[in-house]
Amino acid sequence: MSHNVKILPGATVCEDCTLEGDITIGSGTVIHPRVTIIAEGGPIVIAEYCIIEEYSTIIHKKSDNQENPPKPLFIGAHNVFEVGCKVESIFGHIGEYNVFECRCFVGPDVKISSGCVVGASCKLSAPQTLVDNTVIWGSDHNIREALEKQPSQLLQLDFLSKVMPNYHRLRKPNGHKRQPSRQSTEAGK
Amino acid sequence: MAYLIQPDYVQYFCTCGQIKPITNLYFCRHCLKVRCGFCICHEVDSHYCANCLENMPSSEARLKKNRCSSCFDCPSCFHTLSTRATYAPARQDPAAGDAKVENKQPKKMYYLSCFNCRWTSRDVGIPDQPVASGGWPERTNPFANRFGQLLEYFKAIAQQEKQDKLDKERKKYAIRGKYITLTDKTGLTGAMARTTAGLPSSESSSSAIANFVPSQAKEEVEELPEDYHTKEVNLKLITTMPQRLASPEWQAQLVSRLQPIARPLSVKRSQRCRRCDHNLTKPEYNPGSIKFKIELLAYYHVPEVKIISFETIKPGCTTELLLKLTNPTAHEMQISIIQPDEVPEVEEKEEPKSIEKSLEKSLNLEKDTSWRQVIERKPLLPTTIKLHKPELSFTLAQRDDAAEYDDDSHHETNDIILWRKSNKLALRLKVTTDEEAKVGSPAVAILALQYSYRNTVPPTANSPQTRDHVLYTTVAIHLGTVTQ
Amino acid sequence: MELQDTYYNKSEYVETASGNKVSRQTVLCGSQNIVLHGKVIVQSDAIIRGDLANVKTGRFCIISKGSVLRPPFKKFSKGVAFFPLQMGDHVFVGENTVVNAAVVGSYVYIGKNVVIGRRCVLKDCCMIEDNSVLPAETVVPSFARYSGSPARLITTLPEATPDLMTEFTKSYYQHFLPTASV
Repeated sequence: MSHNVKILPGATVCEDCTLEGDITIGSGTVIHPRVTIIAEGGPIVIAEYCIIEEYSTIIHKKSDNQENPPKPLFIGAHNVFEVGCKVESIFGHIGEYNVFECRCFVGPDVKISSGCVVGASCKLSAPQTLVDNTVIWGSDHNIREALEKQPSQLLQLDFLSKVMPNYHRLRKPNGHKRQPSRQSTEAGK
Repeated sequence: MAYLIQPDYVQYFCTCGQIKPITNLYFCRHCLKVRCGFCICHEVDSHYCANCLENMPSSEARLKKNRCSSCFDCPSCFHTLSTRATYAPARQDPAAGDAKVENKQPKKMYYLSCFNCRWTSRDVGIPDQPVASGGWPERTNPFANRFGQLLEYFKAIAQQEKQDKLDKERKKYAIRGKYITLTDKTGLTGAMARTTAGLPSSESSSSAIANFVPSQAKEEVEELPEDYHTKEVNLKLITTMPQRLASPEWQAQLVSRLQPIARPLSVKRSQRCRRCDHNLTKPEYNPGSIKFKIELLAYYHVPEVKIISFETIKPGCTTELLLKLTNPTAHEMQISIIQPDEVPEVEEKEEPKSIEKSLEKSLNLEKDTSWRQVIERKPLLPTTIKLHKPELSFTLAQRDDAAEYDDDSHHETNDIILWRKSNKLALRLKVTTDEEAKVGSPAVAILALQYSYRNTVPPTANSPQTRDHVLYTTVAIHLGTVTQ
Repeated sequence: MELQDTYYNKSEYVETASGNKVSRQTVLCGSQNIVLHGKVIVQSDAIIRGDLANVKTGRFCIISKGSVLRPPFKKFSKGVAFFPLQMGDHVFVGENTVVNAAVVGSYVYIGKNVVIGRRCVLKDCCMIEDNSVLPAETVVPSFARYSGSPARLITTLPEATPDLMTEFTKSYYQHFLPTASV
């Protein structure tokens, strides 16, 4: 497995997070502390203007019928991964403008289009495809279709990318290969 | 607090025979009896909206059908809707032809949106509003007229029946209770009082009865469409049963017909002892306040029993049980533990009323005093667990908030009293389980406490002057299940 | 039932002069913006985001393992603002709970695995049961007990809740002891 983390200029990535495998983080994306991104089944590409909050986990799992070369997991722009969400996709693509709310779980066999909301504490494990603008909420996993896409978080990103460098140790943007990152043990101040 | 997150290990017997944790019980200082929500009188104090905390008098609340005028619930998921602002360029409206505002500057427009399921008022085509606080279009029920007729009709009938009854009985004036009951506030007897006061004359009521047209069943109804059973259903377009039931007057079948639901009001309530009419709890008027003007809770007046630890209950065995007793009052308490059958019988026992009699009474609300009667009975709990009564009576010091900080444990201890700490002490008791106790059945030990209680109610002319009383309370202690 | 003792490793926790006990395994971002008003326990792997806005807790609060206190943001026409997160006295926050609320009153019990949405207002004396989800901008009135996802009022709390909560948090603090071996 290759261990490259590529951080494009303009991205804000806290040092206190676990990034393993071949990961590319697009510019304008903010990664909060204590985030886990593991690319064991292939590279993960995170596009621009995503927010990935504390304790969220994105795993590109190894699967048995793995293609060779491994298919990358592409996460579109303007996605929000809220605190404690867990996404284990093996499909090659997550669309844009999705919101993964706090403590939700999206299993490996779920295909996500654009503008979807996976509600807080919702667990999606069965194979399924969420069409554009699907909203899932509540313990009964009610589904409805929203009228329009979720609004972008550009204003929040603006704020975060200004404020976070004052309080956190950040990983430097790099255009090229980088040493494998170890989990930093000290608390980020 | 452990009460809220743990099962109820220790339960008290209310005077009415209910078994409840001490936190759900009240203590009437005037009757010196334990009461519970089941055997007291609940009254509505004030109406308020739990979302915006707006307070309103009951007359206004009735007018608004007990709903808030500015807060709405989502018709899709029932979460509270939030008002959101957008800067929409003032759209050219050809019909109105308002040329002044046209495209001059972005105008702030508001719409309702749900943060849970992302439903918005735009989803169903409700136009955005120029003001933040509502002005949302109100829909009138297509059957509003019919409802009005029905209401009038039944009111008239109710009044007529009342009048007949009054005439028959030739009662001049029945004293209404001094208190406003829940039914009063909800408008039931309030409406009756108005009618008896003679607001609408009897003639108008008879005309309402005469002009009333009863509904008629139609024989011919529209046929269902051909494809009713075969057409594929798109569940995303059809409302669910809870959604329909949430707005009974519309019961929209299609998602596109859902309307925001005005938020139902909440009430603050006070509670009253039925026997002596004294307040047991009375909250402060302010809806945001958690304080009470009157708060006679058993938790503040009855010694509290908590389990520290117990051994597994086995048939035919004697096991140990550690209890903690707390004196919540500001006076010293003399406590002894007795068997539940040693609790003296309640002296004042009323004749059980026959059902017919009470039925007759309940029909005549005005002079009905049956709500004042208090049920008093002793629950029977067959128990297979016997408590070894310690031949001991002990004093428990008063509650003293300052004592929390001193660390003195020089009190005398013995085989039964393990430790004392200000107003608390720990007891070591022994319980014996019957040979016949069924394995797997819940193990419940029952004990009774005899305790002294100093009443701090200022003595009045007609009340007995004794300040110190000996009271009893019975407690059920759950000790898991009987195991082999 | 009496509360059982909870033991912690003495080397793991820092005790401040005001009696706060804070695990070293926590993430306190922007610690200059975090005020713990005394006798507050913050357990391991909790995150308090003081970098986003001020976070204030009252006395005798318990922040359990893996929970996240995060000031909420609100969008305005000209940018976003993070609101300070205020918490009253005697508040219990269960394990792996996410609190995005704007205000948490006093005597509030929040169970474990709960999600409190953005800008929620929890009034004094309320309880959110385990595994509940409170959608954004919910107002939980006093003496309400909420449960479910989305959380709804299921019952009311007894009138003595302030005293029960005080006793609970105080005895939790008293039973939170360093291991005898160290």
